[in-house]
Amino acid sequence: MIYAEPKCSPGGDRFMLIEFGDELTLALNFFSQGLARAMIEQKIKGVVETSPCFSSLSVHYEPDEVHYDDLRKEILALANSLGEADDVEVESRLLYFPAVYLDPWTTAAMKEYREKINPEKEPDPEFIAQLNNLDDVEQFVRVHSGSEYWCAALGFWPGTPFLMPLDPRCQLTAPKYNPPRTFTPRGTIGMGGGSTAIYPVDGPGGYQIFARTPIPIWDAKQRLPQFESQLWLLQPTDRIKFIPCSVEEFNEIERKVEEGSFVMNIIDYQKVSLQRHQAWVEQLDLNARF
Amino acid sequence: MLEVIKPGLETSIQDYPGRIGYLNLGFPWSSAMDSWSLRLANILVGNDAGAAGLECQFIGPSLKVQRDTVIAVTGADMQAKIDGAEIPMWESIAIGAGQVLEMAFAKTGARGYIAVAGGISSPEFLGSRSTFHKAGVGGMGGHAIQKDQVVPVAQGDGRPGRKVKESARPPIVTDKQWTVDVVRGPNDDWVDDAGHERFLSTQWKLSAKSDRSGFRLEGPDWTFNEKAYDKLPEHGSDPANILDQGYPVGAINLAGQTPIILVNDGPSMGGFINPYTVPQCAFWKLGQAKPGELLSFEAISVDDAQQKARDITALCSEDSIE
Repeated sequence: MIYAEPKCSPGGDRFMLIEFGDELTLALNFFSQGLARAMIEQKIKGVVETSPCFSSLSVHYEPDEVHYDDLRKEILALANSLGEADDVEVESRLLYFPAVYLDPWTTAAMKEYREKINPEKEPDPEFIAQLNNLDDVEQFVRVHSGSEYWCAALGFWPGTPFLMPLDPRCQLTAPKYNPPRTFTPRGTIGMGGGSTAIYPVDGPGGYQIFARTPIPIWDAKQRLPQFESQLWLLQPTDRIKFIPCSVEEFNEIERKVEEGSFVMNIIDYQKVSLQRHQAWVEQLDLNARF
Repeated sequence: MLEVIKPGLETSIQDYPGRIGYLNLGFPWSSAMDSWSLRLANILVGNDAGAAGLECQFIGPSLKVQRDTVIAVTGADMQAKIDGAEIPMWESIAIGAGQVLEMAFAKTGARGYIAVAGGISSPEFLGSRSTFHKAGVGGMGGHAIQKDQVVPVAQGDGRPGRKVKESARPPIVTDKQWTVDVVRGPNDDWVDDAGHERFLSTQWKLSAKSDRSGFRLEGPDWTFNEKAYDKLPEHGSDPANILDQGYPVGAINLAGQTPIILVNDGPSMGGFINPYTVPQCAFWKLGQAKPGELLSFEAISVDDAQQKARDITALCSEDSIE
């Protein structure tokens, strides 16, 4: 649902969390991003930095400059003045990400988790397919790779995208691991709750995992031109389309990335219109799946 | 101009307040965990309170100084010596070219701090010299200092013989029990009354699986309100799962049933609830708590937490020097 009034809660002595609703919609993310932008543009007193996510906004403020209650009032007034965001359109890059679904690397990580941590854990792709009433893992791959993904936020680790499918027919959900995995290979694509993420580096993780991309989203070695001025690739409002590929293609792309010769496929002339997206979503048959 | 003879367990370059302004890209603040001690060390040697110094975790380094300068050692008592002779903490001390500052294990507290007149001058990354090990940025080459590295220091004009008044130092406990301030929220309404009561009445054990990104706490299970069960599937099905959100620095993040305090290098965003947050005024205690020690939590108001941070900042000044 979308809350009638944004809900503000304190996070310690210098953070405020503002929640606009509790669902995964493009409208709520446009609103969080829009309010974050407006707070910076209007130089709201005491605001140091903001961190918008799917349907909420975390604000870091300086208590010597503004009292919590005054900041709350100011943010609510600004949120009111923004009103409905449904006539907004934003520039949006489209990035193609080859990805091996049901790949050997995430399969090995799942196996290690079963051996070391939880022998009861079902393989993640089968588990997600079953939970979302899909026929089999092949259908899961078709559904997951069937939509463009909207980069709603960056966070968790530098440059890590929080992604949601723009096609609601591809909206899947999954619980997070409990307890988390100790190892996930770099480039792994996973899901937790309704969001999809890409792991920028090897590390622990809590999402269900099922695919791997050779496209780097973080590169401290700065091997490709996209990393010349910054170490991360993505920004909020980007769209990613996963293109299923083979292990051989993965290896070839990885080799080219390593030697710095890989050409990234990034389309940069389009805009995403919230209104047009909503109109399209409204006429879809949400029960029809690929 | 500090030559690393022995690096210690994990000695990292940290400044204060750290890498501020990049949470929306996923960069944490990093910075010194006990910034009270780092700030006082800097003031002793004539630096800005926020200059870059060394944070020494559990076991300190041995460093050979390459030119005459002034240093100060604060925080955990790591039995600092110069060329084998014990030196006092909380005091600025002259050290000559070729002399070796040697730190051992932390007798009390967990993290010692070393400031050098002029401040460490390693390159800045996104406006800070603080080391963020996990992404390999800041500090020297993105990691804790290593044997044979030479840590660069800017020119300074420190004076020896300056002391921090006893009353202005962080009171590091010796009985392994800490009382840590918390502020309720942001996701406190997901936990039921019994869960809140249990959290505040339990002595939680700081797990060995803790580092600068998260402090894991061992203790009883949590219980939840209806809200944690009756929710849309986008949140994830576990009661502690929430639609991903920005995390406050210091959040007590409930990963399933394990509370993890998201400290200086912690994740900026994720899908677990944060029923409480440790305010900045209590971070020094986290910085000085060792794994195995016991933490109990005391809920205070936002206003009180802010005032306590102001009180500490007031102590990190020239007025505290005698």
